Amino acid sequence: MFNRQRYRWTELWLLLLPSVFLLVGYFELLIVHNLSVPVTSHNLPPLDAFTPIFGLIAALFGAHLLLVIIAPDADQTLLPIAGMLTSIGVLMSLRLGPDIGVPTLGLKQLAFAIAGLAVCVLTVWATRDLRWLRNYKYTWAAVGIVLVGITLLHSHSLSTNAPSRDVLNIGSGGLSFQPSEILKICLVIFFAGYLSENREMLAISNLRVGPLKLPPLKHLGPLIAMLGLALLIFLGVKELGLAILVFGLFLSMLYVASNRPSYIIGSVVAFALGALVIYRIFPYAQQRIAIVGNAFDTTPPARIAYNAGFQIVQGLIAFGNGGVFGAGLGLGKSWIVPFSHTDYIAASFGEEFGFAGVLALIGLFMLLVYRGMHIATRPRASFNQLMAVGLTAVFAIQTIVILAGNLKIMPLTGIPLPFVAYGGSSLIANYIIIGLLLRLSQDKS
Amino acid sequence: MDNYQLLLYLRIGLVAILYLVILQIVLVSRRDLKRAEKPVAAGVATTRARQVVGRLILIDSGSTPYKPGQEFALEPITTIGRAPTNSIVLDSTFVSTEHTRILYKDKSLWVEDMGSRNGTLVNGQTIAQPVAVAPGALLQVGDVRFEFAAA
Repeated sequence: MFNRQRYRWTELWLLLLPSVFLLVGYFELLIVHNLSVPVTSHNLPPLDAFTPIFGLIAALFGAHLLLVIIAPDADQTLLPIAGMLTSIGVLMSLRLGPDIGVPTLGLKQLAFAIAGLAVCVLTVWATRDLRWLRNYKYTWAAVGIVLVGITLLHSHSLSTNAPSRDVLNIGSGGLSFQPSEILKICLVIFFAGYLSENREMLAISNLRVGPLKLPPLKHLGPLIAMLGLALLIFLGVKELGLAILVFGLFLSMLYVASNRPSYIIGSVVAFALGALVIYRIFPYAQQRIAIVGNAFDTTPPARIAYNAGFQIVQGLIAFGNGGVFGAGLGLGKSWIVPFSHTDYIAASFGEEFGFAGVLALIGLFMLLVYRGMHIATRPRASFNQLMAVGLTAVFAIQTIVILAGNLKIMPLTGIPLPFVAYGGSSLIANYIIIGLLLRLSQDKS
Repeated sequence: MDNYQLLLYLRIGLVAILYLVILQIVLVSRRDLKRAEKPVAAGVATTRARQVVGRLILIDSGSTPYKPGQEFALEPITTIGRAPTNSIVLDSTFVSTEHTRILYKDKSLWVEDMGSRNGTLVNGQTIAQPVAVAPGALLQVGDVRFEFAAA
């Protein structure tokens, strides 16, 4: 079973580093807890922190051992990168939990991480033959559309102003689930199936508009449909982030499939025009842009910095308070920012790990995207290549959209920072993607 | 060493671990790339030593972006079609995905239709079986016409 030649030694070595990170973080939290001068409003009992730290280390090595058995040839850097980001997430949840009034936050995030790793291994095992994903591509698309439909209907009954509006509550046990997390995986599979069958058609251009070459009119249909879906999400669910994710995903896969920059230029121009029209018509859009533009405005009557812009302003203050090397784990005050454990996890991390830490975080995401694209170059079947590109693009777009939102570069959206933000649906969905990428990395031509 | 000093070291240590992870993954990726480079180098060597057995001169470019007079080198196996995997790619709606194949066999060039929708014409005749061609012969693939020439 444990063939020495085929053992995943690189992965084992790379997994040691997140473990050391968790242990050092645990040690630091314990010292902060024992400081005579209380620097945080609530302190963390040592035993409460014990389970999430050691539980996650055990879960990572457990997943490693299972991968040794079921997928010995799969890429060895994906699990360590995802594990490192998950470690940051669990550590931040553990540290923020007591301060935001949920002392078991770290424990909950650990439970999601274990579920995620289990689902990841299960995905690798279940997709030994990737053809069943491809054969049922319209079923996946239908599942995705139904999920969006439910969300659209459901979101009208929501009155919250939270950026994450696409939440479905299941039963009365307090379990909730974000359909958009599953939607993005369904869409990647569908796009990969559709584009791999039609890539030749899309590569032909006999319609020329000035310098732009457009595909034959009948193949423009899906493009327009996707643009429509993105705008529908934006208008119906009022989820700008999800709209950008769906549309960006489709564009990146379309570009890789057709190698036509004109499609991208044309689609982006169409999207910009659509966005402009929406901005003119809907006060909601104007409001969101106005909040970003005038976040620091303290003049009455709006007093944006204290009301709608409070989160953005406090988030920026958290980043600023971090400085270059950060305030130190457990020594920041980022819990003042609303949703500091979910939408503003980057600001919380930025305050305690500083500019240096945020750069390292971005570096980790860049490496994740690099490894994904590296995997995409190897398979021979275009369906597999496109799927790897799409799954990688999911990580890339999400990271850019939420980091830009946190840093006041674009309107804030409810997209979670992959692996780091607190939340079960997102963590599990991201581990499904890692599982699929691990499986795709075994397909070498 | 008091607690605050220890906290400073731990704080720097935590960020340092993050960079160590990045460094290690970059090193692993570099090793992967070096391993993958070898077969690529071998591929370059074989394409450089390819054999040219004849030429095709474009007479009528149809709806493709090529200019009449353009020359295409013929290898021992040359495929013509719309798919980007072909040796000669003809981006035209009248050309099938894999339209025509030209083989070099017994010191002669043979044209073979690959089951195309609009057929392959040699000297104006639709071909059903592979036919041998000499320099000067005319070849029509979809709406594109070529003339054979010696290497």
